[in-house]
Amino acid sequence: MGRAVTTFVFATGRYQSGDWDSAPLVPVNLIDSVARYTTIDVAPTGVIVDMASADIFDYPLIYLTGHLPFFFSSGERRMVQKYLDRGGMLFVDDHNHDTAGVFHRTATAELIRTAGRLVDLPNTHELYSCFFSFKDGPPNTNHELNGWGDNLIHKHLQAVTRDNRIEVLYSSKDYSSEWGYHPDSKRLMQFDNTKFGVNIIVYALTR
Amino acid sequence: MVSRAEVIDESRLSAALVRWATGEAPSEVHVRFDAAPGATVRDWLVALRASGTRLTWDASGSLPATAVDVEPVADPRGLVRVTAAAPAGTRLTIGDRFGAFDSVVTPHGIATFRLPPVSSISSSVGRTVARATVMDSLPTKRIYLVGRAGWESKFIARALEQEGWPVDAHFVLAPHNDVAPARSIVLDTAGYAAVVLVDTMLPEDAGRVARFVESGGGLVLGPGATRGAGALAAGSVGAPLAAPPTISDSAPELGLTLEPTFSLRPGTSVLARRRGDPSVTARRVANGRVVQVGYTDTWRWRMVAGDRGVAAHRAWWAGLVAVVAYAPAMPRASNRVRSDPAPLVALEDRLGGPRPSSGAAAPIRPWIPLPWVFAAIVLLLLAEWSSRRLRGAG
Repeated sequence: MGRAVTTFVFATGRYQSGDWDSAPLVPVNLIDSVARYTTIDVAPTGVIVDMASADIFDYPLIYLTGHLPFFFSSGERRMVQKYLDRGGMLFVDDHNHDTAGVFHRTATAELIRTAGRLVDLPNTHELYSCFFSFKDGPPNTNHELNGWGDNLIHKHLQAVTRDNRIEVLYSSKDYSSEWGYHPDSKRLMQFDNTKFGVNIIVYALTR
Repeated sequence: MVSRAEVIDESRLSAALVRWATGEAPSEVHVRFDAAPGATVRDWLVALRASGTRLTWDASGSLPATAVDVEPVADPRGLVRVTAAAPAGTRLTIGDRFGAFDSVVTPHGIATFRLPPVSSISSSVGRTVARATVMDSLPTKRIYLVGRAGWESKFIARALEQEGWPVDAHFVLAPHNDVAPARSIVLDTAGYAAVVLVDTMLPEDAGRVARFVESGGGLVLGPGATRGAGALAAGSVGAPLAAPPTISDSAPELGLTLEPTFSLRPGTSVLARRRGDPSVTARRVANGRVVQVGYTDTWRWRMVAGDRGVAAHRAWWAGLVAVVAYAPAMPRASNRVRSDPAPLVALEDRLGGPRPSSGAAAPIRPWIPLPWVFAAIVLLLLAEWSSRRLRGAG
């Protein structure tokens, strides 16, 4: 497993319980956007890191997603707790867009057990203005607008915070589907819908 | 005064002093010490001698010896640095007026401690107690940090904030869209103690950082920023020396990427080396101080090293800032604890060397290690000199 030095490397977490690799195209789109809009030194490809492995400490931001039940093994939980204590950040997204669904119910319970209370993040939080400006909070996704999943537009993201800093960012908005298209399609899009992903990465790199 | 001689052990000295002060003092007194007496007893004996009593002293064995110095550190939490000396191999105990809080064996004769705020400190070896008081405090100001958005800048800013420093951080992100402090930065020593340039320098900062340092401010330079720092840098930056992928708590520097400093400018001191390569260097620039760091990825020490890495990384960066921070000393209100930093040295200084009780012309037994007394004096002078030098007192 490669070792991150000063370059930002996008890391996807591999956990034992479910389909951790349900959104393989998200990394390449976010990496492209970070390189396109910022001067951040970003590695051209992402990595996959085992959540039970000490390799997670090389990547202070890790992306997790899936459709199926989400549980950490005891080894994964122990590593994640140390990871968060040292300053790491998790971004977890429900790929089902379904608050009644199995991923949301199990993932939120597991994150609470591992990291602490999940609370609604105010839509005035600096996450929404640290690079691009999102005056109305988290941007809505196509799946939300089309009634996919729970047929709800989720107004807030949730977060576990410590010392005024987000440790775990949880999304029910299904950004994994929103950002999981083929990279060649990006140039055909009128609006770049990955900009909020840039905010998440900028926040992780500066706070 | 009565024409008689008395030989008195230390255990009976206090009562004897009262008796001599309130009644007839003997014409000659010989005191046998078990430990170096404190300042009050010394003063009393000096007064007794001044009133006409011939005074000699010696010791029943080797007198335990110690010396101590304490000075404030430029740290928002008011930490102090304690330097204590004792003969090599002896056990030295550090404490304050409420009791002891650490005890070490000094293999090389000197021990240093970084402690929470105290007004006075004592070091004791056996029954000999040395005391020092903190004479100044160093009020701290803000830190201005500039770096490219990334783990190194982020975790340095976080470490300093967690150590209590208010940090105004500017992260370079894009040509017209950086993460910058909401307040405008007026970079002078009235508001800022130090500047930390992690891996870059803003073009608009070049002149004002130099003026800030020349007027007394501190500067910490990372390798990426050193290349643009011009005359402020301590030396040139070498090619990166890669490190193994693991980092241990016991020797974290071995697991970091180092760009060593070479071609050191005159007056530069090497504060740390890694396997012979300068890793941290320091120099004076006019009224200010600059520390140049060769490591590019100290964030890995916090994230990848063991469970002590977070606290150690924070303390290391706070220590670097403390070395350079502009923090003019302010005298503290007088302390009730009397300073007595080297009681054995003071005993010899005020009462002369030991002599046998008969007063005959007998050779003075070298019963105390005179080289150690000399070493204690030199250590105290060095501590005072380095303290004055670091505080810019010339």
